[in-house]
Amino acid sequence: METDAPGGYFGRALVVDAADASADVLPLSAAVLRRYIGGVGLGTWLMHHLAPVGVDPLHPESPLAFVFSPLVGTPLTTSAKFAVVGKSPLTGLLNDALSSSHFAIAGKLTGNDAIVVHGRAERPSVLLVDGDGARIEPVEDLWGLTADEAEERLRERLGKGWRVASIGPAGEQQIRYATISHDGRHAGRGGLGAVLGAKLIKAVAVRAATKVAPHDQPGLLAAARDLRTRSFGPATAKYRELGTLANLLAFNAISTLPTRNFQAATFGEAPNLAAEELAEARTTAREHCASCTIGCEHIYKGADGKSTRVEYENVFALGPLCGVSDADSVLAASRRCDELGLDTISAGGTIAWAMECAERGLLDAPWLRFGDGDALLRALDEIGTLTGLGRLLAEGTRRASAQLGPDAEALAVHVKGLELPGYEPRTLQAMALGLAVNSRGADHNRSGAYEADLGGELDRLHGDARHAVAAIETEDRAAVMDSLILCKFLRGVFTDPWREWAELLEKVTGWDVDAEELRATARRIVLAKRMFNLREGWKPADDWLPDRFLSEPLELSSGRSAALSPERLRSMIDAYYEERGLDAAGLPGSGQLADMELDVFVY
Amino acid sequence: MLAGGRSTRMGEPKAALEWHGSTLLRRVTGIVGRAVGGPVVVVRAPGQALPPLPAGVEIIEDAREGRGPLQGLAAGLSALDGRADAAFLSSTDVPFLHPAFVRRVVAALDDETDVVLPRARGHQQPLSAAYRTSLRPVVERLLAANRLRPAFLFESCRVKRLDEDALLADRTLASLDARLDSVLNLNEPDDYESARARPAPEVAVRRFGALRIPGERGPQTVHAATLAAAAAAAGLALDDHVVAALNGDQISRDPELPLAGGDEVAFMAADAGG
Repeated sequence: METDAPGGYFGRALVVDAADASADVLPLSAAVLRRYIGGVGLGTWLMHHLAPVGVDPLHPESPLAFVFSPLVGTPLTTSAKFAVVGKSPLTGLLNDALSSSHFAIAGKLTGNDAIVVHGRAERPSVLLVDGDGARIEPVEDLWGLTADEAEERLRERLGKGWRVASIGPAGEQQIRYATISHDGRHAGRGGLGAVLGAKLIKAVAVRAATKVAPHDQPGLLAAARDLRTRSFGPATAKYRELGTLANLLAFNAISTLPTRNFQAATFGEAPNLAAEELAEARTTAREHCASCTIGCEHIYKGADGKSTRVEYENVFALGPLCGVSDADSVLAASRRCDELGLDTISAGGTIAWAMECAERGLLDAPWLRFGDGDALLRALDEIGTLTGLGRLLAEGTRRASAQLGPDAEALAVHVKGLELPGYEPRTLQAMALGLAVNSRGADHNRSGAYEADLGGELDRLHGDARHAVAAIETEDRAAVMDSLILCKFLRGVFTDPWREWAELLEKVTGWDVDAEELRATARRIVLAKRMFNLREGWKPADDWLPDRFLSEPLELSSGRSAALSPERLRSMIDAYYEERGLDAAGLPGSGQLADMELDVFVY
Repeated sequence: MLAGGRSTRMGEPKAALEWHGSTLLRRVTGIVGRAVGGPVVVVRAPGQALPPLPAGVEIIEDAREGRGPLQGLAAGLSALDGRADAAFLSSTDVPFLHPAFVRRVVAALDDETDVVLPRARGHQQPLSAAYRTSLRPVVERLLAANRLRPAFLFESCRVKRLDEDALLADRTLASLDARLDSVLNLNEPDDYESARARPAPEVAVRRFGALRIPGERGPQTVHAATLAAAAAAAGLALDDHVVAALNGDQISRDPELPLAGGDEVAFMAADAGG
């Protein structure tokens, strides 16, 4: 395909109407690509341009973008990733979720930097995109299958050159925290699977049809070799050797493991679920995404002989957060989430909330108790089939608690409607800020502020303005890594990340980009997300944490109390706004928007 | 922290004396800092050289040299004005000071008390005691009147005296420092040599995640006076990829972080994402 786009790009997005597969090409200028790079950055720009203001996320005209990046398809380790971007049915705000592997490469090599879907098919269908453009084919026989099953059937039907991202039954039923998965890896948070389900699109299949060359092929190959070598070093040892589940026992030791709907931050039975205890007996395989030299995926075998991908967030949310300590129950619950296509964090968070409501007499479900693995599985089944309590729990904690009243709302642990990941805010106070202000809601991937808490430089129990500066740095780094896209598990190998990322981008695109420009790009992307949310109804009060964290101190084994007062949180948020150049209400000024070339997003 | 003494009998500045790869002053500031949760202020003599101290430790100077501990106390209380209700006062030369001792003394402060004065190992311990910051005018009046002994201060305020039984009624302190070595100070070179020859504190070390040795169960007991020594004893290098949590609380990479008997150190990967 001939293109005058910068190296690594095609300079276009394909915008497909699911109703009839008619497609428009949206040109992406070099200026736009340089300002937003790809992945979540470019996806944010696309949503600003393509999403009707105030559109219901589950309305046919709500667009959903599969966004690639300049680094996809290069030999750079961990670069085979894609972003799915749209409006979240859980938060009503901008949402971006990453997944990875061959879909990213094949999707980009359809000749598009992004594939955007809007409209609604007449019946359950698959959207096919390759060098011949887009088409829709009915797949009613696949409706009701798990994402894995649908992916396998489609590859058998279409041929192995096709790569498939699919929803499970949860997405079909528009459950608000449904995922989109490819090769078992989920674009998990925020419920974008429901957006695809609302379009009656069971899957998107892509096939490579062309190539795209980087600007400096020899230089890029040398950089890829160097990065590959570094990726085998100690910065990634944790991910290689035990995977992210290595967090669990360490977090328990430092009172950072959310337990029983955040009523505690340590779990006495944590060793039952720890990678250190389970890995030797349970691990059956370690898997890699395409183009990855880390191999963080650890596959465990349950008592039933079935295999499950194990991640810290799955185990935290379905284990300690629900008070469940039986490893087989947790592995079975994790697998059930994968089969249904449910975000494990939101599923576990919602069930943990319901368990506390049931124990406090706010919810008539005497069978639902903390620590009961069978109850956990029953709750997941009911969510997956929208039966019994499932109809309520499928709404997520914010909407479900609103149905039960203020007492239940006080127990709902979410930010902007997104359930919290496994990082206790009272004992990680930079992270508390990151969770409060992030555009996606309570999120550990778009804000890695826990790194500041766990780095040893700051007092993690006493947040102040320095925590705000540190939180901004991790948020900016995430914005760039998620736009390039590089896996964050690689982040520890970069000794001078801004400069090194700029050099990689320069080798691919030919732009004379430097660290300073990349920092400005990061700030632009973060602010563009905030601007999108602003037009969709974000309010200053949305940048806040649940009252539980501000009114219930935690007692640590050291004798210290971990308390986060509303005044301290307010002070950190004020410092964050000031450092970001926002006003006291969290809003950007017109001058700032113009400086960052964001004034086109003023509505 | 009073660092300004002349160290006449020791023959060299006590503050800079080596202590298991660190220095006495670094150790004692760290121990006090661990216990009080507030600012740590070192008072030195005018122009006195000090060994390196971690960021955050404040250094101020005595207004006049050689006037004894009340002069230093006045300077310290002045530095804390408006930032703390009370201060734990310590000398530099107490290498066995335990955080549990500091906590015990500070916890005895109440509305009826201006000074908590321990009596241990046969002596009153005004340099291991807690003082209300509101005492600063009283101390300054005594200094102006050339009444330089701490006893004059105790005559002028409300003092709660804690004998050994009262101190050891604290079960944590009783289990971690039953002989109240916390107040054992070093004056002569022989004191130092004898103290330095003691084994380093016994601490528990745990390794998490990829740092763990396969098959390892539970903590390992090692002798280590600093974080670096604990890491070495556990077979770890305290590099960019390793952090440590002390007693489940603060995270540190500071190799000179002082450890005390009964501490538990958890080593984990610095890359906490996932």
